[in-house]
Amino acid sequence: MDREFVRLTLPASLDSLQALLDFAHAGADSAGLAQSDWEKLELVLEELLVNVARYAYQPESGDVELAYAVDGPGILALEISDTGRVFNPLEQPVPDLSAGLLDRPIGGLGLFLVRSLTNSLDYRREGGRNTVSFRVPGPARPGT
Amino acid sequence: MNIEPTQLEKAVVLKVTGRMDAENAHEFEEACDRWISQGTRHLIAELDGLQYVSSMGLRSFLAVAQKLQSKSGSLSLAGLTGLPRQVFEMTRLIGVFPVYESTQQAIAKL
Repeated sequence: MDREFVRLTLPASLDSLQALLDFAHAGADSAGLAQSDWEKLELVLEELLVNVARYAYQPESGDVELAYAVDGPGILALEISDTGRVFNPLEQPVPDLSAGLLDRPIGGLGLFLVRSLTNSLDYRREGGRNTVSFRVPGPARPGT
Repeated sequence: MNIEPTQLEKAVVLKVTGRMDAENAHEFEEACDRWISQGTRHLIAELDGLQYVSSMGLRSFLAVAQKLQSKSGSLSLAGLTGLPRQVFEMTRLIGVFPVYESTQQAIAKL
């Protein structure tokens, strides 16, 4: 399917998060995404964008680009890219979800949520750029 | 996010409303830490007004619960609903915390 992406580039920092979410919300509206799917997308975007803001360029700074394209009725394709250090979210270990309270690792849940709430999650490194791409809505029964 | 505490005989109820995200999740942990440092051992988070929680929020809940457990205390979650409830279910944290339908039930179990 021929898709035209709409793009926004901002400094990779927590201060940019709200503007990026507002931008994505416009995409969700143009795709006719259900409200419950938008709420999940918002969570996915926060997890991925916070990762870029915290880790991609540290201790330097840089930009993050968010792009979306309508992929069909109620379906939105998204891409998040940066020129920071190589980071493949698909290669991160899945946290142990069966551990009891005291053994429960504090980290790793964000990317687990991203995997659970998206479709076609993919990563590529091209020309010094990390790009994470995915579609929403994710699986009908997330986390299974 | 707004956090409204109510001190009861056996526990402190923290009514959390709004959105708990990367920018403000630490405020919940700090509020809990203040009660813990004053000797509170049982906290109940009343979450029927929580609209959104990201992994940074989950971290705060876990960190507080781990601190309390090491002091023979507890962090109970009451009234989880909507996407926050789904997030706790997906990450299987629903089995890690004592979870109740209502604050009254949580108090009754202490």
